[in-house]
Amino acid sequence: MRILRSVRHKVCADGSFMKEFLLDVPVTADFFSYLGNFGRVEAVPTLGDGFYKFERPDWFSIKGMAGDDTVEVRFKKEAMDLTTDFVYSLFSLYRDGDPDLAVLKRREQALAERVNRRLYGA
Amino acid sequence: MTPHRPIIYLNNAATSWPKPPEVLEAVNRCLALPPFGSGRTTGTEGEDYITLARERVSRLLGAGPPEHVVFTQNATDSLNLLIQGFIAQNGDGCHVLTTALEHNSVLRPLRELERQGRIRLTVLPFEDGAVSPGSVEGALAPDTRLMVMTHASNVLGSVQDVRAIGRVLHDHGVSFIVDGAQAAGHVSVDLRDPSIDAYAFTGHKALFGIPGTGGFWIRDPETVAPVRFGGTGSSSCSLLHPREMPERFEAGTHNYPGLAALAAGVEFVRTTGPEAIAAKAERQAAFIIGEVTQEPNVVVYNDRPAIPIIAFNIQGMEHEDVGFILARAYGIVSRTGIHCAPLVHRAIDGGNGCVRLSLSWFTTDDECRSAARAVREIAAHAHSQVGPA
Repeated sequence: MRILRSVRHKVCADGSFMKEFLLDVPVTADFFSYLGNFGRVEAVPTLGDGFYKFERPDWFSIKGMAGDDTVEVRFKKEAMDLTTDFVYSLFSLYRDGDPDLAVLKRREQALAERVNRRLYGA
Repeated sequence: MTPHRPIIYLNNAATSWPKPPEVLEAVNRCLALPPFGSGRTTGTEGEDYITLARERVSRLLGAGPPEHVVFTQNATDSLNLLIQGFIAQNGDGCHVLTTALEHNSVLRPLRELERQGRIRLTVLPFEDGAVSPGSVEGALAPDTRLMVMTHASNVLGSVQDVRAIGRVLHDHGVSFIVDGAQAAGHVSVDLRDPSIDAYAFTGHKALFGIPGTGGFWIRDPETVAPVRFGGTGSSSCSLLHPREMPERFEAGTHNYPGLAALAAGVEFVRTTGPEAIAAKAERQAAFIIGEVTQEPNVVVYNDRPAIPIIAFNIQGMEHEDVGFILARAYGIVSRTGIHCAPLVHRAIDGGNGCVRLSLSWFTTDDECRSAARAVREIAAHAHSQVGPA
């Protein structure tokens, strides 16, 4: 899955930064299940084609409707410079339900250390 | 991108859409000819939209001499000019009243003056969406010189009794600036009544103009010092800015297409009739509120709005998620968050924010039914099915 472009930006009331990404293919329930490897996913699958929200506290959240080729990503501003690349990796390494989880898990672990060091000094 | 479904636009309290056809035609007509601004051209082809807009706004607001209508970029711009100009004219150190219903267009200029130590500020609470004349009278101090408050809340849709409050203020020699950003076009305004000293408005909401236009009416220009200076196309030999109205408060080239749109929008409101607009708005807002409150987990914060704004949350869901689903699954444009009115939200929802649906004359009954049905569906699903994927 590729991010084609960022179509909209805004600063949210809580200070987080929202980017709306246009993707080359629509997102699916399976994609959000895959994101569940890296954080918490909530779903209301019976609303429209299904509403899904992934959240990794302190990092970012990803919101979308199944069948829609845009998603809304909200970055926590304190770590946005560190976490942006990982968002791109989550999309680019997802390939039809066969993502390379081992690679992503290694990146996640390394990133977690950097984010925690910045936010909590640990 | 995914093909778009028809839009149901319910964010008119932010910016109204669609605009009346007359407004679009006016903008096109204005841009099709060379601009005409008195003192700025020898051309005679273009219409004098500035004077036309001034006359029409003055008539709609019952405002007396059109020259006392001043054009700005928007209501925020107007309020900044009025508030800062009032303090510049009357000196630092006075006491100013405002309310917890205000938009940041009022709160931030006042808080900034307070931060600079130039005013003492009291923020009055509201009850059932309203600030009472009695609470205003109770907050007056010997050095109170100014009150600034909204005519209609942009979150609760409640209209304030500015006439009664103005009388209390005038009995004590206090000037009164009213923010009419939400009210103008929805509520009949009659500025012949002496209770209001200045009235700020914006062009792009219920007056059906386009963004980038607004203004204010002022009863006595001498009470507010001009804080913006420059070219006016008049008295150009003088190195000092003219003090005559409306040039006293206007500098630089006007927004010609914007004021052409405003003139057409105001005329649309006048010919449609503020009473007819208000009656339709009240009926449609009541319908939506009646429908959505049938779901036990929908909390509506304003059960009887005077202008067509419905503020609500669905228990168990974040307001941003509700707005997202309304947009993506139903094509309904709302607004979520704190609507630039942080003190209102502190009072009604702990400062977390809510979903706001706001209607206009062009909102159809079918659209109201669709919106109510969508909110009810989301609420019904939220109640039972939010959970891990």
